[in-house]
Amino acid sequence: MKVLMPYFKRYRVDVSVALLSVIVLVFATLWQPRLLQVVMTAIIKDDQQTVMREGLLLLGLAVLGIAGGVINTIYSARVALGVATDLRSDLYAKIQSFAYADVETFSASNLVVRMTNDINQVQQIVMAGFQQITRIPLLFIGALVLAIVTMPEQWWVIVVMMAIILFASWIAVGRMTKYFGQTQQDIENVNTVTRENLMGIRVVKSFVQETNEIKKFSHASDELTAVTAKIGYWFSILMPIFFLTANLAVGVAVYLVGQNITVHPSYLAAITSFISYLMQILYAVINGGFLMTFASRAVISLGRINEVLATQPSMSYVEGDDATPLVGDISFEHVTFTYPGDDQPTLTDVSFHIAAGAMLGIVGATGSGKTTLAQLIARLYDPDSGRITIGGVDVRQIPEKALRATVAYVLQRSTLFSGTIAANLKQVRPDAELSHMRWAANVAQASEFIERLPERYEAPVEERSQNFSGGQKQRLAITRGIIANPEVLILDDATSALDAKSEKLVQEAMDRDLTATTTVVIAEKIASIIRADQVLVLDHGRVSGIGTHQDLLQTNSIYQKIYQTQKAREEAAK
Amino acid sequence: MSDLRNAGRYYWHYLKKYWRGFIISTLLIAFSTWCIVVAPTYLGRAVEQLTTYLGQWTNPATRAQASLSPFNHTLVIYVLLYVGDATTIFIASLILARVTAYSTGTMRVGLFRKMQRMQVKYFDTHSDGDILARFTSDLDNIFNAMNQALLEVLLAVAQFVGLLIVMFNQNVTMAWVTMASTPVALVIAALVMRKAGTAVNQQQDDIGRLNGYINEQITGQKVLITNGLQQDSFRGFETYNNQVRKSALTGQIWSGILNPLMQGMSLLNTAIVIFFGSWLALNGSLSKGAALALVVVFVNYAQQYYQPIMSLTSLYGMIQLAITGARRIDEVRNQPDEVNPVAGSHPDGIQHELKIDQVHFSYLPGKEILHGVTIDVQRGEMVALVGPTGSGKTTVMNLLNRFYDVDQGQISFDGTDIRTFDLNALRQNVGIVLQEPQLFTGTIADNIRYGDPAASMDRVIDAAKQANIHDFIESLPDRYLTRVSDEQSIFSAGQKQLMSIARTILTNPRLLILDEATSNVDTVTEAKIQAAMDNVIQGRTSFVIAHRLKTILNADKIVVLKSGRIIEQGTHAELLAENGFYAELYRNQMVFD
Repeated sequence: MKVLMPYFKRYRVDVSVALLSVIVLVFATLWQPRLLQVVMTAIIKDDQQTVMREGLLLLGLAVLGIAGGVINTIYSARVALGVATDLRSDLYAKIQSFAYADVETFSASNLVVRMTNDINQVQQIVMAGFQQITRIPLLFIGALVLAIVTMPEQWWVIVVMMAIILFASWIAVGRMTKYFGQTQQDIENVNTVTRENLMGIRVVKSFVQETNEIKKFSHASDELTAVTAKIGYWFSILMPIFFLTANLAVGVAVYLVGQNITVHPSYLAAITSFISYLMQILYAVINGGFLMTFASRAVISLGRINEVLATQPSMSYVEGDDATPLVGDISFEHVTFTYPGDDQPTLTDVSFHIAAGAMLGIVGATGSGKTTLAQLIARLYDPDSGRITIGGVDVRQIPEKALRATVAYVLQRSTLFSGTIAANLKQVRPDAELSHMRWAANVAQASEFIERLPERYEAPVEERSQNFSGGQKQRLAITRGIIANPEVLILDDATSALDAKSEKLVQEAMDRDLTATTTVVIAEKIASIIRADQVLVLDHGRVSGIGTHQDLLQTNSIYQKIYQTQKAREEAAK
Repeated sequence: MSDLRNAGRYYWHYLKKYWRGFIISTLLIAFSTWCIVVAPTYLGRAVEQLTTYLGQWTNPATRAQASLSPFNHTLVIYVLLYVGDATTIFIASLILARVTAYSTGTMRVGLFRKMQRMQVKYFDTHSDGDILARFTSDLDNIFNAMNQALLEVLLAVAQFVGLLIVMFNQNVTMAWVTMASTPVALVIAALVMRKAGTAVNQQQDDIGRLNGYINEQITGQKVLITNGLQQDSFRGFETYNNQVRKSALTGQIWSGILNPLMQGMSLLNTAIVIFFGSWLALNGSLSKGAALALVVVFVNYAQQYYQPIMSLTSLYGMIQLAITGARRIDEVRNQPDEVNPVAGSHPDGIQHELKIDQVHFSYLPGKEILHGVTIDVQRGEMVALVGPTGSGKTTVMNLLNRFYDVDQGQISFDGTDIRTFDLNALRQNVGIVLQEPQLFTGTIADNIRYGDPAASMDRVIDAAKQANIHDFIESLPDRYLTRVSDEQSIFSAGQKQLMSIARTILTNPRLLILDEATSNVDTVTEAKIQAAMDNVIQGRTSFVIAHRLKTILNADKIVVLKSGRIIEQGTHAELLAENGFYAELYRNQMVFD
């Protein structure tokens, strides 16, 4: 709740109108039985004038009720959407301020859920809150007070009724909470089997396991069915008990009125209004119960949202809007790095230096720390100890804009954003003209297919860029990486989906057109880095060797081994 | 309208066996409705009797005759009616809860069964997310609607009919007065619902766009950060977010306003009834007691009158979703099954030769992928398929296992068309190792013996050893009993491929198809995969779909495919000598200097 207060304050007027209209609505609902009683008394007394006057008042009250309800809905919606929109906006701004490690800690998909489902839960509860939550206690208290005022002797009937209802709910809710937990688990099991079968349908079919899979699924599904049935049974008993209790209370109350009618003859006219109040108490309790379960979910969502909002970005940049790129010589000085949550460092005591404009190749087995090393240059993470400098400046001392202007990073899993090719390129270089795009695409060997698209650079990029093949995606990503002619270019296994011929052409074009750029190339294939000025061999996070291809072939056993596995077959076949 | 028909057919299929339950519930509900609508008349009578009693008691002359027992008697009936109501509703909802749970359970299993029978084509042309949504949100919507709407709709209809009957029985004038506001209410409801429909659609579209944007951006956060695009991303977000605020406000107001409006109408109606009722009491020919009773009864009716209409309108959205859900699932139900010949023969491996004979194939009509491909394979040979992306290599695999059937030509084992074999028997003879292997939740051992759940532990370990994954498994704390789930994998991509090879080795297939993993595998793991593949290929007729040429240098036959045609065929040495496409490809990949 504390999280929401500042947001409510922004919508002070809407909040006030919503609350005022609830009060009007409650007043109209509660006053009607009261007026009815007056009318009835007037009928008994044959008082025509009062009947007419109070009757008109009744109509007026009804109109007031409608107006209250409508206004309440409008203003509740305004508050709910205002709060949800602002909250979503703040949440998104927060996420955009995160360091990559923070995004990973939460996981991207988890953050998306918080941005969508959780915010939606909060929006709904705020809406319901201003429509119901304020109304229910008001109605409950109002109906209770008025019922007691109407027939003071019968307060205990109300108390007994409520005691029975609450007792029944307590038992049922206890049971159902257990079952609800179980349904969640069962639903997950059902979904897991379904998802695996969807993704592995070829495996299932080729191993002829359809019958077993159906057995597995039926088992999971039957458990879910059994629990849902149990929840259904408990619900089946709950509602009839509520209404039976309330109607028994009415019976008892009317009976008692009858036995004492000679003492309180005026109660004759009060029976109907007393019943109305009893029923309103009942509805308030039932709706209150529903809202409580509803609200408990929203509270969890709010907690999850707040968790993100309360997280401080784990990395900060020095102040400054300076976007001048630095010179592209890079050095690592005794860099050790451990991923958050790991106990073993991924990189240990890594030191090397590359001159501006040179090319560095990085090789090593999966998990040897190649990508980690590259990510430290782009400052996706900061090292535990040691330092990394670009152009002689510690990366932690470089303003964000300057760093991004200096380093371009092309990922192995190339992500393009939906829009057009040009829009993706202009994101990185806002002043890019067609000539720039053509140049970059030529280097990346992307021109060949872009020029064949009907809209060329204005061709659409669909979500997950699914209208391009893996190789085309990588070439587009490389185009984006080089369009700003960066001082430092990191290619993280960025040509893995390219065939050998295109890869070679990309390399040749880069050698020709990006002479001033320092290039860091991570590769599985030695062929990709064979022409590098220096090759760094990583082994379990340590530098095992550094030198040219020829040097390493002579001196480095790990490099030799990698080379042999890639070369061996060819020789064997000769 | 056809939506409705399809949905109707779907529900009929799954619900018809519960017809007894429905009839009993309907009868019970009718009875409970009778209780509910009749009960207020007894309350009215009680009030009337009490008035009479009070009148007699107040008058000293008649005080002696005054008796409360008729009043008490009426009250007992009143209470009994509600006991009857509660009991019958309880039994009816019990039955319906059972029907709902078990029928949706059957629907779920039915959908899954269908999924197992359907052609692979369906899965290739629909996204996993879309199919999964039919299991989750569509079935959920059906369940929710049945769970809440079934009873409520029956109740609402019964109550409405019952109420009308009783009202007209009681007093025709008052009945008309109570109903007078109905046309206004219906017009308002129809107008608001139509507005709400369009507004909510717009809202959902905008929310969909916003969520799509958020998903794309946050998933690509690394790109945003490394390019310093966070502020641009936020600006883009604000546009979508504000659009949602605008359209969702309209959507929420229109869909939220119906309930207070109807509640207001109910309040207004009560007021009208009181107003006219009291006028009737004072100016009509009725006794005061009777008139008072009439007002009491009709106030009660007026309050009940709008309830069925209100619950029907509030259920409208839910029912709409259930109809859409049923339509979407029914769509799956009508997909063609795999074609399995009746009493198909069982192949016994390949004794002499496998022949792919003049095969033409297209995934989409008019877009042929294979144009008359012919490959002869002798028993025990290893054939490698080579060619650029899109050349049709993977398609050949799809055909050998009958994931798809050829358009023209045939594939035969020793001269017998594979389409005449029993489908399961054929697949038991053909083993495949996929490029992106799928593991299933369970232990490592379960996964290795996937194709033969009865296999002994010795066979599992033996298969793992041949696949070069035994040592890794032994290094895990729970070894072969380590739990695997596809989401948080303990395996790297390369190790997954080894698992998948082990799984295939265990079933000892006669014909083997290997789709080699492309990237993401370091050279050391690659060497292990190579050795494992050599193990599994030995002595078997096999097809290898190769992405790296060095895997297949020892193949008995290398088939080079390009754009769906075979352009070269022969051994490595022969093809190098030919100095054509293959030789060029080979030089590009293998030459270091």
